[in-house]
Amino acid sequence: MKADHRATLLRRHFFSHGLFSVTFRCPDLAAAVLPGQFAMVEVPDRMRPYLRRAYSVADSNPRGGEIELLIKTIGPGTATLEVLPEGSTVRLLGPLGNSFSVGDLGSGSRVAIVAGGIGAAPFPLLLAALRAASVNCDLYLGGRNARELSIRTRFDGLVPGETILSSDDGSLGEKGFVTEALRRRFDAGSRYARVFACGPMPMFAALAGVVGDAGVPAEFSTEADMGCGFGACLGCVIPGTEKAFLVSCSEGPILAPEKIAWNRL
Amino acid sequence: MSALEVRLGPLTLRNPITTASGTFGYGLEFADFVDLAKIGGLCTKGLSLKPHAGNAPPRICETPAGMLNAIGLQNVGVEEFVTEKLPKLRELRATVIANVWGDLEEDYVTVVRALEGAEGIAAVELNISCPNVQRGGMLFGNSPDATRSLVSQVRAATERPLIVKLSPNAPDLVESARAARDAGADILSLVNTFVGMVIDPETAKPRTSFGTGGLSGPAIRPLAVRMVYQVHKALPDTPLMGIGGISDLSDVLEFLAAGATAVQVGTANFKDPGVSGRLVGELAGYCEWKKTTVAALVGRAHRAATKVGGEAGAEG
Repeated sequence: MKADHRATLLRRHFFSHGLFSVTFRCPDLAAAVLPGQFAMVEVPDRMRPYLRRAYSVADSNPRGGEIELLIKTIGPGTATLEVLPEGSTVRLLGPLGNSFSVGDLGSGSRVAIVAGGIGAAPFPLLLAALRAASVNCDLYLGGRNARELSIRTRFDGLVPGETILSSDDGSLGEKGFVTEALRRRFDAGSRYARVFACGPMPMFAALAGVVGDAGVPAEFSTEADMGCGFGACLGCVIPGTEKAFLVSCSEGPILAPEKIAWNRL
Repeated sequence: MSALEVRLGPLTLRNPITTASGTFGYGLEFADFVDLAKIGGLCTKGLSLKPHAGNAPPRICETPAGMLNAIGLQNVGVEEFVTEKLPKLRELRATVIANVWGDLEEDYVTVVRALEGAEGIAAVELNISCPNVQRGGMLFGNSPDATRSLVSQVRAATERPLIVKLSPNAPDLVESARAARDAGADILSLVNTFVGMVIDPETAKPRTSFGTGGLSGPAIRPLAVRMVYQVHKALPDTPLMGIGGISDLSDVLEFLAAGATAVQVGTANFKDPGVSGRLVGELAGYCEWKKTTVAALVGRAHRAATKVGGEAGAEG
């Protein structure tokens, strides 16, 4: 059940400048969270940022009572977490939202994860669930440059299949967008039972075309600016095909691309 | 009568802590965080005759100590509210204040009539102050004549306690308050959000698709306190519900002192979904410690022998 948990910051690990992970002690959340779910983080007694910020839960260790978030410093919320002293108390509201579906994938089936930049955040937890279900998986990890791809070390030893790196500037891996790397594999005959993806909206818009052309079902972990995270403020809506708007936090954040009205974004 | 109970004309609340429309969903979204039977009441998301989709995103944007929103009154419509939401709220023993809006006077009246037969609604609150729709909403609140006409029509359509939620964007708030009261409002709630705007400095585009939005949160609290003070001074016998950036006990005491008999907690519900329930406990502790009642705390600032600037007409 979702609740407002008190959590202690245990440690922080930097992949590169402005790209880091934070690990909290938060046993109830660690025990409850499913792959793809998120938490709203509040650093108490601050007016800036005023609202909480939403973060995908990157990994959980129920036995140790720990949860981890992967973060890129962008605004005042992420900047606070970059410098918050270890031992500090924060509040984590969660687990929130729906989760990636793994249960219906047959043992031995093969899926792909497509991550753009800090969109890699929810996938360590998903990879653990896929491994437990004996599902094979390739990881497509894209970024603007080699520095943004420094997060790849977080996935060392977690990916049962191939890891395909791509960068917009060609400084590491294949040059170009991660969606094109996937398209080339499809063109060469690769087949996946499902594509899981997380990244910025332009990546999703391109990816919707790629998976649509290949006829592969997909689950996108969407992000929109959230005021509350639990369906009350209706601030985080995304235009939908079956209804005018989908509420990203409570009807998502995991949405199938065909439910999103890409032409109204 | 308990120390926390408050009487607002025909409406008695178990305590003065309620939640503001648009910040508390239909109440059910908060059931994991707040015992809805413990708070004074909850104002629903603004209900219209038909389901309403609201504005295109982006709809919200953070501001210093607050937020700007242009949701555009997205709601499930009065029928689904009565059949799907209200029975669950009754089960949770919530005190429900149904917030109502429409494009035209007839729409308000029809929604209020549709609620008349429904069980478990303590009061009706008219939203004549939403700044985020093209028609209706604030247009009724910004003209005393339009306010008077709308409120008298709705007054004739309901026996229930009638709250009118005022717009801080009205040219003369006291005149609007008087118009609403004279037309039959039992209670006034104030204030709704202030029309604001945030522009992205890089793209030079507004940060909400609507262009403007309603500003809420602690940033507006001193403005709202001043308005509650003003309206209570002009209409001391009209019960008020104070709204504007309320997040902790001292904020509640401040609005009571300014002349509010009850308060509505708004934007703070997003940041801290359990805040309303916690405030009830803190207020009870305060009254016990001070050996006082909430009723005795209402309007204290007016009894304090201080002269408030502008009261002698010396503005500017």
